[in-house]
Amino acid sequence: MTTKIKVDGTTYEVTVDDKTPLLWVLRDHLNLTGTKYGCGVAQCGACTVLVGGKAVRSCATFLDEIGDKEIMTIANTTDPLLKKVQEAWVEEDVPQCGYCQSGQIMNATGLLKANSNPTEEEIIAEMNGNICRCGTYNRIKNAIKKINAGA
Amino acid sequence: MGLSRRTFLKTTTLATSAFVIGFYLPSTARAEEDSKGAIALQPNAFIQIDPDNTITFLMGQAEMGQGTYTAMAMSIADELDADWDAVRFKASEVKPVYNSVFGPFMLTAGSTSMSTKHLEMRKIGAAVNAMLKTAAAQRWNTDLSNVKTTKSQAINIKTGAKLTYGELVSDIKTMSVPEYPKLKDLKDCELIGKPTKRHPSEAWAKVTGKAEYGVDVRMDNLKYAAVLHPAVFGSKIVSFDPSEALKRNGILKVKQIPGGIAVIAEHWFQAKEALNHISVVWDKGTFASISTADLKKEYSDLLKKPGASMRKDGNSAKAFKEAHSIISAEYEFPFLAHAPMEPLNCTVHHTGTTAKMWTGGQMQTTYRDDCANILGIKPEAVEYHNTLLGGGFGRRGAANSDYINDAVFTAKDEEWPIMTLWTREDDIRMGNYRPMYKNKARVALNRFGDITAFEATVVGQPVVKDTILGFLFKDGVDWAQWDGLTDHPYSITNHDMQSHSPSSPIPALWWRSVGHTQTAPMVEGIVDEAAHKAGVDPIAYRISMLDDLRCIKLLVDVKRISDWNNRKKEKNVGYGVALVKSFGSLVAQVAKVRVTDNDFKVEKVWCSVDCGFAVNPLNVENQMISGINFGLAPTKYSEITIKNGEAEQNNFYDYLVTRISDAPDIQVSIVNSGEKIGGIGETAVPPIFPAVANAIFDATGKRYHSLPIKIS
Repeated sequence: MTTKIKVDGTTYEVTVDDKTPLLWVLRDHLNLTGTKYGCGVAQCGACTVLVGGKAVRSCATFLDEIGDKEIMTIANTTDPLLKKVQEAWVEEDVPQCGYCQSGQIMNATGLLKANSNPTEEEIIAEMNGNICRCGTYNRIKNAIKKINAGA
Repeated sequence: MGLSRRTFLKTTTLATSAFVIGFYLPSTARAEEDSKGAIALQPNAFIQIDPDNTITFLMGQAEMGQGTYTAMAMSIADELDADWDAVRFKASEVKPVYNSVFGPFMLTAGSTSMSTKHLEMRKIGAAVNAMLKTAAAQRWNTDLSNVKTTKSQAINIKTGAKLTYGELVSDIKTMSVPEYPKLKDLKDCELIGKPTKRHPSEAWAKVTGKAEYGVDVRMDNLKYAAVLHPAVFGSKIVSFDPSEALKRNGILKVKQIPGGIAVIAEHWFQAKEALNHISVVWDKGTFASISTADLKKEYSDLLKKPGASMRKDGNSAKAFKEAHSIISAEYEFPFLAHAPMEPLNCTVHHTGTTAKMWTGGQMQTTYRDDCANILGIKPEAVEYHNTLLGGGFGRRGAANSDYINDAVFTAKDEEWPIMTLWTREDDIRMGNYRPMYKNKARVALNRFGDITAFEATVVGQPVVKDTILGFLFKDGVDWAQWDGLTDHPYSITNHDMQSHSPSSPIPALWWRSVGHTQTAPMVEGIVDEAAHKAGVDPIAYRISMLDDLRCIKLLVDVKRISDWNNRKKEKNVGYGVALVKSFGSLVAQVAKVRVTDNDFKVEKVWCSVDCGFAVNPLNVENQMISGINFGLAPTKYSEITIKNGEAEQNNFYDYLVTRISDAPDIQVSIVNSGEKIGGIGETAVPPIFPAVANAIFDATGKRYHSLPIKIS
């Protein structure tokens, strides 16, 4: 199947088998390796990207579900909110091994797009699907709280 | 002789220098490149200074999240007076100069990077700095005292003239290396000992998705492989039919390898999906009838028998006979998977008599040599590239090289470079677990409540036996069985401690903090029980049982930061303490736990750490947070159980780990005792198990000896 998808402002024409998850289209067909494989079953959040501004698990998202909605990944360089989240992550010294952080950052960006001033409870509820084996959760909470998403 | 001037210089250096280990021996290929002027001077194996003043630190230690790149770089950069923000990191080649203190191989394990390499890194930075200063003084024809260095440049303090390190680098090629360079006084250090965020180059790569892990390696004509592994440990393939798999899109080849059946495809998802279309006849072997209950039975039987002696002193039998009271307990700890976030992978390109490989590994030399052995070529013919590691926790130091071997056998004799990537299910189900343990311990108390004797028996598969750390298996006893138990810090005069080493087809492996994962819950659990029996406050009791002033001071510190004496008594809330010495450091923790119905929540952890000297206090704090959250997983959730010879767990839906909702508030206090530098990557893990169990006792009056803790 040949489909057009728009990723971080660039339109790609991809020819992939039906039922190839978006994660592998990004990683192996387009070589956009910033989005990570962690579990393949939407349990860890490492593959999180935004589709139409909403956080989704790309390992369990298929091209026919995306339609003409734009895909935003960790490699996006133009989204001001994503930039703020990335800056907060560096400022708070969040990343350790760093592998899950693409997904953490995209999930946080999705959260802040929908809710610019989340409470601690909302942060925990929204971020609970993203596993970090290095246990950087405390720093992640601090980073999200510091982001002024409204400005 | 045919020695170039540079090679001669190096040779001379090697013969006379105190840091032989620091100096680079050019390979033939490199020397050839060098004669063409293609590569910049490497004053040694750790610092590369390019003429454009780009300074790159070559890292022999693997960065898996523990902050080693930043800490190693701080150690060099401070002495070198390098421009911190501008330095760059690069994983080193496999060379003896990067070997660990444990043997002739590179190794990132045991929380040893800083404790064994910090001083060496400083000396190297200082030596190169001295050479650059001398070169600048010669250029300016001035006295050395007129030259100062800062931010990768030399400054003539008389004239204000400046020269970058890059401009000076050609001059130091002909210079001999100072043997005893003067190190900075700690008070003059700008980085060492100061809270320093992860180096911006690494941090920004990791928040923008540009950081390269093994799974991100890409090259022309790269193909991907998935492997069908046996589900039953120890089972073998009798026959298989790949015909359906081969009909599928993108499938290039299906081949049997020692680890299973590899499917090579244009894209990984194609390979992975094709695994479901291979029919295999297995010889499941004898383990197919074994389940966790059978192993527990076997271990229980062993517990009753005399084992290999781990420690015997005094007269334990007599002490128990004369005891005023005795506390005894049995402990069960399950197999644990490491589950690093990046699934295991390795990319290999076999090109006849040479090969290239890319992976994130904790044992670079071993993996390169494995690759060479399998391909039947010389180790030097393998070009090994270490990437960043998406978590390690010991798993990327697999003693049996399982994921490396899969990749090498898959790529052997193939025309393409091939990335062999495991699924998360492979990672959870393929073993190399922290062993399952069934232990018992008992202590004798005199009428004052002091512990007079300590007996323990540990039953669990050995971890270091027959590995590159095999020297730590002695007299039938494995390091992972005794570490933290036989060398507990308490003043007890009579001991009888033994171990048994059962075997099974399940490979066992070191897991973040290794033996302490089973010894800390025993030692700090039973000491807490003794305190309760004695009717003494658990911190005061520990202090009364300790001689080691460092331990006492740390307990006093954690008592202070947790405001222990004023801890708030609430219904169903408990506080527990634990102190563990591991990897040369001490960590004391107080956990506050709230118990509800059949659940508990660790609300707050106060953590005091004495690692001698904190090279990077911010990273020490980060590693304490990391270790606590990591350790909470097996305290509360994680376990691998066996049914009919297979792991019962598959993925993060049934192998549960700590999530953000589980993460407690954590307060860290660093005590710089000035003792020898200890490790930091693993040391926060062990105390959290007993601190939480002790807190649950405080809340409920019930002792939980086994992990994970299931409130009943």
